[in-house]
Amino acid sequence: MFDPAAPAASALPARELRVVLAGNPNSGKTSLFNALTGARQRVANYAGVTVERRLGHCDIDEHPVSVVDLPGTYSLSSYSPEERVAQEELTAAPDVAVVVVDSMQLERHLVLLAQVMQSGMRPVLCLNMADEARDAGQKLDLALMEKLLGFPVVETVAHRAQGIADLKRAIARAASTPVAHSRLVLGEEMDRALAALRPLLPTQAEKIYASDWMATRLLAGDREYGERLATMPGGKAVLAEARRQRERIEARTGLDISVFVTGCYFGFVDGLVREVRTQPSRPDARLLTDRIDALLVHRWLGLPIFALVMYVIFWLTFKVGEAPMGWIGTGVHLAAAHVAGLWPAGSDSLLRSLIVDGIIGGVGGVVVFLPNIVLLFLGLAFLEDTGYMARAAFLTDRLMHRFGLHGKSFIPLLTGFGCSIPGIMATRTLENHRDRIITMLILPLMSCGARLTIWMLLIPAFFPPAWRAPVLWSIYAVGIGLALVLALVLRKTLMRGDDAPFVMELPPYRLPTLRSVPIKMAERAGLYLRKAGTTILALSILLWAAAAFPKPSHYRVDAQIAAGEIVVANLNEGRHPRHLTQDEVLDRRAAENLEYSIAGRVGYALEPVFRPLGFDWKIVTAMLGAFAAKEIFVAQLGIVYSLGDAEKRTEDLRAVLARDYGVLVGVSMMLFLLIATPCMATLAVTRRESGKWSYALLQFGGLTGIAYLLSLLVYQAGRLLG
Amino acid sequence: MVPLPNKTADAEISPSLEDYIETIYLLVQEQGFARVKDVAKARAVKAASVSIALRRLAEMDLVRYERREYIALTPAGEKAGRRVFSRHRLLTRLFVEVLRMPREAAGEQACAMEHSLSDEAMDRLARFFEFLDSCPSVVESFHRCSLAHDHGGVSGHVPGWCAICARKQTRASVSLADVKPGERAVVTKVGGAGALRQRLLDMGVLPNTVIDVERVGLGGDPFWVRCQGARLALRRSEANSIMVRPAERDSRKQ
Repeated sequence: MFDPAAPAASALPARELRVVLAGNPNSGKTSLFNALTGARQRVANYAGVTVERRLGHCDIDEHPVSVVDLPGTYSLSSYSPEERVAQEELTAAPDVAVVVVDSMQLERHLVLLAQVMQSGMRPVLCLNMADEARDAGQKLDLALMEKLLGFPVVETVAHRAQGIADLKRAIARAASTPVAHSRLVLGEEMDRALAALRPLLPTQAEKIYASDWMATRLLAGDREYGERLATMPGGKAVLAEARRQRERIEARTGLDISVFVTGCYFGFVDGLVREVRTQPSRPDARLLTDRIDALLVHRWLGLPIFALVMYVIFWLTFKVGEAPMGWIGTGVHLAAAHVAGLWPAGSDSLLRSLIVDGIIGGVGGVVVFLPNIVLLFLGLAFLEDTGYMARAAFLTDRLMHRFGLHGKSFIPLLTGFGCSIPGIMATRTLENHRDRIITMLILPLMSCGARLTIWMLLIPAFFPPAWRAPVLWSIYAVGIGLALVLALVLRKTLMRGDDAPFVMELPPYRLPTLRSVPIKMAERAGLYLRKAGTTILALSILLWAAAAFPKPSHYRVDAQIAAGEIVVANLNEGRHPRHLTQDEVLDRRAAENLEYSIAGRVGYALEPVFRPLGFDWKIVTAMLGAFAAKEIFVAQLGIVYSLGDAEKRTEDLRAVLARDYGVLVGVSMMLFLLIATPCMATLAVTRRESGKWSYALLQFGGLTGIAYLLSLLVYQAGRLLG
Repeated sequence: MVPLPNKTADAEISPSLEDYIETIYLLVQEQGFARVKDVAKARAVKAASVSIALRRLAEMDLVRYERREYIALTPAGEKAGRRVFSRHRLLTRLFVEVLRMPREAAGEQACAMEHSLSDEAMDRLARFFEFLDSCPSVVESFHRCSLAHDHGGVSGHVPGWCAICARKQTRASVSLADVKPGERAVVTKVGGAGALRQRLLDMGVLPNTVIDVERVGLGGDPFWVRCQGARLALRRSEANSIMVRPAERDSRKQ
């Protein structure tokens, strides 16, 4: 509907207009945000909390507008970090607060509107999913609604970008009107309490919060508001009066104050809906969701179906991802070869080594997984947008809860078998901070795809064919078992506290749109690439330098060749006397170089520490490489054993390993590699997603410590038993 | 108005005739006699209408009336008058003392209803008041409770029970965790720690809302419920903090 009275953009403030979107989870707020801002958005974390802050931009009649998508909250109380963030944003006095509600859930979703109204904003009510409501037969008197509420009300279908022009006009209309201090009618008792509190509020407080909102929060005993007010002059008196009113109401009504206050909001909404809803939706609306649920969360079929769904997603991820992974891999190799070709053959130019081995090798090794990650996130975004993710959490919660985890931890952990990084990024679906941190910390124990290359090398080296499959299976089992035990331990120690309430809404099934899924996917892929471009690049260079410097001034192998020692040595061992080939000389030089470098020296220095585990300096040095990326272990081991390109000579490497180490060392080694030191990319992502280095360091230190102890135990026990 | 069920033999008297009998009965009780003009005045009608009514009542042998004389009730008439009046009194008491309506409105209601009250209903009402006289605390607690209800919310929405009810309800009710899949319950109390309770409340799990347990996960956890149109999943431990009373599945709207 076009309102000719709507003011032109000139009536708006000259600066950029600031708009926030508030709404319940599953109100379609993010779709609306996408429809409003399109690609002009970016995602960051709020300082210190694991809550995403989405900021976007759009134009209204060529007037610049910034839009903040608040985290989805049911109310503005300050229990969860999301709610606190939403409050913070609202108290920063945005020009317009758009409250997005699901038109089919007015009774519940409008409660947030009531609170926003109380907090002295210029609201715009956005009745989203208007098409579903229309189809269900619900009719609303929008004109009456606007009249009763005193601010614009628009209908939208966000995921199809319908009604966006109306919404923009409504925002402009609201922004150019003065802030209306609407006084909600919340019932006699509430009005009495608010009337008693209003005149007492210090003016200082009223500058921050609208008085009714402030008074209501104080009445409800909100600790955060109470603490803030206590520091203001006259604050103590208000708090005392709030307590008096609270006690009065509780005595009168026999209700707990939070029940009473929430009841008042629901009462207001109930009254409003009764007035404006001229026809309720048919009782059979949204029956489709119930029918689908009857199958998908069926008592017996639910879990098998879930397993199948996950299998299909993983299969697609790795099957479809194979080809582009190959291309990227080839591309990285070609780039490396091309760059290497700029120098004369056999050159030991530092710059060449830096670019080829350090930068292209390090970052390339991470970028290769991009197709997998994009596809995996495509699958997860699909699950999330259809509403199936919440069902999956319902199905797996009982199992996860036994180990102090949450149903929503399951999918991130599962993802960890592919790669820890998307797994950690997927923990975003966990609302509770503690659940999220625990899931992140234990996630590297899910043996990832990169580690599979290690198992492929080591298992055949130490075990006869019949044993290989059970050993591989045991590795995964040990990882999972340890992860669950650790989760329990963390829950009982560092992450102590009551379980986060598991109260989860199961949204109606919806078809994801071509709009939302790519945006979500691009966002995650972008995060991953940015990580590869910054932290991982820096760490790659650092690790490269550690393996490259300092260089020995002369190589033993050269001296040995000059002295004819190699030929003699071969003679002594009864082998055919021959000279080393050019490649063999280069390989031996590389091995000496590594031995002489910081990495080698660290390996040497750490040898005494790792001796009780059965490791010598060669293994330790190779493990330093595993920190860059797990699969580098194999390559590094190849260099240490002067075998050059280890990927092509796995058999030789296996033979050498079997010769030098016993099965016991092999087991100890695999245990250590499974548990210890998640790769640097994982640490970087943990740091980013948890918001704190301390968690990343805990993950690093904790897992390495456990790995050391377990390997030590196994190796020493094994030696004692022979 | 609903047609009168359960009539007694002499009750074919129309409501308006009953009103006349009642008026005459009252006048006789108060001043010892009743004249046409008294009746006309009390009922705010013309004397002629009174005469017509009196003739009909006389035909039914309820009054004896000769022109320009006092109106006298026959024994049957007196009995009828007493009956109508005591109904009126009982109903007035109900509206004023129990339901706390203003006296005038209560009187009007009583006048409108007294004719349709059957003897049995009147008998029960009388017994109810006998009980109230001997046990006034019942109506007192009702008043305190309904006061809470009146002030609890807007437009009749009831956010919860009063303290008295709550105590009784808690004793009588069970936790949501005891409700079987497919059963319906009404929330009586939302407990739990601050964050949990607030979350439940925000999601619409308030006292007096209907909650349907739709399914329970394998092994009895978590619970899948529907409340105010939303599907919610919650663990047994959370369900334990919600007190409910069982309700009929097909009763009323959700």
